[in-house]
Amino acid sequence: MADEEEDAPFEEDAEEAGGGLDGGQGKRKRLFSKELRCMMYGFGDDQNPYTEAVDILEDLVIEFITEMTHKAMSIGRQGRVQVEDIVFLIRKDPRKFARVKDLLTMNEELKRARKAFDEANYGS
Amino acid sequence: MAEPVEAGCEEPVSARDSPPPASPPSGPAAAAETAEEPQVAAETAEGEAAEPGAGAEPKVAAQAGEAAQGQEGPELAPADAEDPSLQAAAKKMKLEMKEKKDKKQKVDEDEIQKMQILVSSFSEEQLNRYEMYRRSAFPKAAIKRLIQSITGTSVSQNVVIAMSGISKVFVGEVVEEALDVCEKWGELPPLQPKHMREAVRRLKARGQIPNSKYKKIIFQ
Repeated sequence: MADEEEDAPFEEDAEEAGGGLDGGQGKRKRLFSKELRCMMYGFGDDQNPYTEAVDILEDLVIEFITEMTHKAMSIGRQGRVQVEDIVFLIRKDPRKFARVKDLLTMNEELKRARKAFDEANYGS
Repeated sequence: MAEPVEAGCEEPVSARDSPPPASPPSGPAAAAETAEEPQVAAETAEGEAAEPGAGAEPKVAAQAGEAAQGQEGPELAPADAEDPSLQAAAKKMKLEMKEKKDKKQKVDEDEIQKMQILVSSFSEEQLNRYEMYRRSAFPKAAIKRLIQSITGTSVSQNVVIAMSGISKVFVGEVVEEALDVCEKWGELPPLQPKHMREAVRRLKARGQIPNSKYKKIIFQ
């Protein structure tokens, strides 16, 4: 794939598209191809996005998660990643911050609802 | 588009029938919502300051003023319950809090209604896209594996939930910026790598992409 050469110098962590069994450095199987396609369509791209664009996005996401994890490990309780650390790192970005708060609140509600449902079943 | 729906799409369980009030599809909505709360707080603070002027003692005014500043939690613990003026102040604060909560719930309900009206008037293609937008998600197992391979220790479920959510917002930011670039350059979707790279360059300039690879030297 010719665009690999364009991508590699751009992406600092050389993660080339997997596929070969070469065992070369950084050859990783694509983790999120299907989900990323759905997501790109949802956010406004075409129904069939280009594979190269999906690859670039996947590398970006993996780099993002890696950065966040490293930062979270260095604050709060060292060597561990906790939710509070993530929330702290995100505090300046309004969208992400609101999203995390909503997700955690909804999760709590769902857990409570499931617990109440199970108890109701157990009772009857 | 039946397959992508099954593969790697998570259903936000309660979200189908009654869209939760606070999952805004676009940035301005999220910013507006977080902006709304301090606004409501400011309004009630002003209300507090205005009311004591209507024939109450300066002591009540001082109490109400102080209470209005520390408004976040239910701070209604008057020290001595015998003093009627303190009781009145406490009751007033309780009413104000209840009003604030009611107003916020009403705002949420308004938002829910508006979303329902909007979604009901979507075309087929728009409905499809909206469904993909709501349902697509990163697989929790893969994210958990990724984080654990970086930390070396196990992580809790909440961390995985938070990280998946943030990553989805991140993807949204990049895709929206890339679509802006695409439109600005007079081209059409589907997005090409050059749009993505330009989008990333712009986001980096704005500081929205974390990059801890270069240490800043402040003083030489």
